[in-house]
Amino acid sequence: MNDKWKNAFNEIHAEPELKQSTMDYLSDRVYSRRGREKKKIFTVPRFAAAAACLAAVLLFGGYRLYFIPTAFISVDINPSLELGINRFDRIVSVEGYNDDGQALADSLNIRFMNYQDALEQLLEEDTVEELLSQDGVMSLTVAGDNDAQSSEILEHVESCVDGQQNIHCHSGNSEEMHSAHESGMSFGKYEAFLRLQELDPSITADDVKNLSMHEIFDLIEEYSEDQNNVDDTSSSGTGSQSGQNNSSGDSSCTGTGSGADSAAHERHHGSRHDR
Amino acid sequence: MRSEEEARRAIGLYGDTVRRICMVHLKNYADTEDVFQTVFLKYVLHSAPFDSDEHEKAWIIRVTINACRDLLKSFFHSRTVPLDSLIEKPGEIPEDHREILEAVLSLPAKYKDAVYLYYFEGYSASEIGSILKKNVNTVYTLLNRARHLLKNRLEEVPDIE
Repeated sequence: MNDKWKNAFNEIHAEPELKQSTMDYLSDRVYSRRGREKKKIFTVPRFAAAAACLAAVLLFGGYRLYFIPTAFISVDINPSLELGINRFDRIVSVEGYNDDGQALADSLNIRFMNYQDALEQLLEEDTVEELLSQDGVMSLTVAGDNDAQSSEILEHVESCVDGQQNIHCHSGNSEEMHSAHESGMSFGKYEAFLRLQELDPSITADDVKNLSMHEIFDLIEEYSEDQNNVDDTSSSGTGSQSGQNNSSGDSSCTGTGSGADSAAHERHHGSRHDR
Repeated sequence: MRSEEEARRAIGLYGDTVRRICMVHLKNYADTEDVFQTVFLKYVLHSAPFDSDEHEKAWIIRVTINACRDLLKSFFHSRTVPLDSLIEKPGEIPEDHREILEAVLSLPAKYKDAVYLYYFEGYSASEIGSILKKNVNTVYTLLNRARHLLKNRLEEVPDIE
């Protein structure tokens, strides 16, 4: 009787596959970790992981080194755009600060070019040439954290635009540049705005934002003229006015630059009356 | 930790027992595989020595029953229906003794272990009590009630001595 019951369960055996799979599971879970095979397998990913980390660090460092601009050239006519230059003197960013500037930035293909070549190409660009020939004022402002690099760039920029009457060159410091970016203007325009604000403190950044450089310079001219008139009557004013002009920036214009500056201003003044 | 050879020996020796307990409790092969792995992993990691082979076997039975219960009461198990339980699988139970096995499988879970250990493994009521951690009288009660239930399905059910 009991045998019948025993036989009933005796029919049931663990399938060989089941035993094998359990054994495989055990050797995978427990034994291989101690075995030589696993060690071999383990060393490869360890090296690979270390190599991957190193590569990631190098890539990130390289990225920072190459893609973070250390100096900027701000180009303002009416389109205002800013070229970011990395430590290898290559353009790494082109950013437009108004619609025209954005359009111009999109049409230019100067990324990763040397900034001197890029500047030449920019000056030869149709829209720029057209604006310059229509009496537009172009302002090139160089700013950067690295003084040596920015002064070198400024030198190159000046020699590049040498002979162009209505192009101004300035250099500025990076702090002002940051505040310019905060107010949504390119640096060159911001410089001009600061100069204008000194003459007329009631002018705000928003007023200036949509004006072309030409118009801003006209306004500066106009205000300084007014001030001159006032100064003429009270002779003490001249000193203060020239003081203002000097303080209006870190704008260290070179000889040609300042010459072009005044010449351009005269012409704008004239053209304003023509209009 | 036990060596690979010991694990192989244990699987060979107790594989059938574990498989039978799994059959009594579980309904599909995947669960059986799970329990197999759990039981023998525990065996391999359990380093305390056994007094005798009997002790070892009882330990394996105990661990298997616990593993089956854990599996059955896990949240996933209580809320889902395995696919193969929807498919008729007559092949799993051998034809000859189908009646007996089906009768045992139809028992409520609490009787299955006692019935299996008593009728097949031949343990006495007191041994079953120590394996299942139950009072001897409780084991007798379980066996008697199970026998009554089995009698409804089977003509002859061996007596409890």
